[in-house]
Amino acid sequence: MADGEFQRDALQHINALYNFAVYLTRKPPDAEDLVQETYLRAFRFSHRFAPGTHLRAWMFQIMRNTFLTFYRLRERESPIAEDGVPDWDAPMFHDAPDQDSVASEAHTDLERAMHHLPEEFRTVLLLAEVEGMPLEEVARIMACPVGTVKSRIFRAKERLRGLLRDYDVK
Amino acid sequence: MSDRPSEMGDEELARRLASGLPRHEAPAHLRGRILRQARPARPTWWAPAVAALATALGLLLLFVPLLPRITPADPVQRLVRSVVAEHTRALLWGARRAEIEPASLPWLTQESGIGLAKLFGGDDLLAFTAAEPVYLEQNRGVALHYRDADGHLLTYVALPAPGLTVPEAKRRQVDRWRPALVHEAGFALWVWKQKDVACFLITDMVSEGELDRFKDYFVRVRVATEPYLPY
Repeated sequence: MADGEFQRDALQHINALYNFAVYLTRKPPDAEDLVQETYLRAFRFSHRFAPGTHLRAWMFQIMRNTFLTFYRLRERESPIAEDGVPDWDAPMFHDAPDQDSVASEAHTDLERAMHHLPEEFRTVLLLAEVEGMPLEEVARIMACPVGTVKSRIFRAKERLRGLLRDYDVK
Repeated sequence: MSDRPSEMGDEELARRLASGLPRHEAPAHLRGRILRQARPARPTWWAPAVAALATALGLLLLFVPLLPRITPADPVQRLVRSVVAEHTRALLWGARRAEIEPASLPWLTQESGIGLAKLFGGDDLLAFTAAEPVYLEQNRGVALHYRDADGHLLTYVALPAPGLTVPEAKRRQVDRWRPALVHEAGFALWVWKQKDVACFLITDMVSEGELDRFKDYFVRVRVATEPYLPY
């Protein structure tokens, strides 16, 4: 099991990992389980972590692999609400017209559109654009070449725009 | 430039993703939950294992007195071990009761169940030190103790053993007799039979160099001692 220093360092990234987990699993309880499983795995295999490399990227990599192994199967089994947004994530201000209504709706639509993206596109956007990771780290986490990451980002944005356009029409 | 994300350029959309998507903070309890789970599990396995082991040990100790003793199957060997134990006891603490007066012979016969028609009472080489009844291998018998000039203690033991057979392979010719020479636990013994009485002469003279002297002691005792079963 990991020593105290490693645990402290790893736990510094708990918020980022939890945020990523919420977008991966779409459900906070599942996100909590995923984060916990990720940390337990990281602690168990801490001896494999090469000091000097990026701990944050390593943790994200473990989380994604864990998600792909276990949670994705479960996700496929669980029904998604009609509008694609799970109950817990129903936007609070969806019908409240105010000054920020456009931004608020865009914000909501953006989130909803993200949830509709395939996992590969969602992950690449979350890691590269939301977490601001270098493309090399994203490539390592996703176990693919940097060129593939660039291509996925481009296609993810295209898909995202398409989804948002649909929401505009509605 | 449009405010609508559907019409935004790549960079603008990236900025909107970074700033517009809500960030979910990890619940406060999650950190504690992880740390609790990460704590090395207590080695709870040893408690039942130790308890089971202790119980097994206790039961074993309880039943040890009831277990059958490992005793040699050979009756000669069993008697030899008993004689060795008796001789060792005499070596360490001496005879329980020294009865060397001729007047005490009837008492000795009565107590030991072994009559002595003749009794080697010692000579210039062996001093007769004690005679006493013994109880070996559930048989009453008699033990006569001698000591030579060098301080070697010799014990002669006679026990009733009608069915006992002296091991042929260990027999040695000593004068006109063929007793068996047995070594056991650092002692040497002459084993022979006189009618229904098994006789043993034991000492700690185990080396080949001392064998001639031990033979000589055997002859002296054998010639002058005549045990019998009076009852």
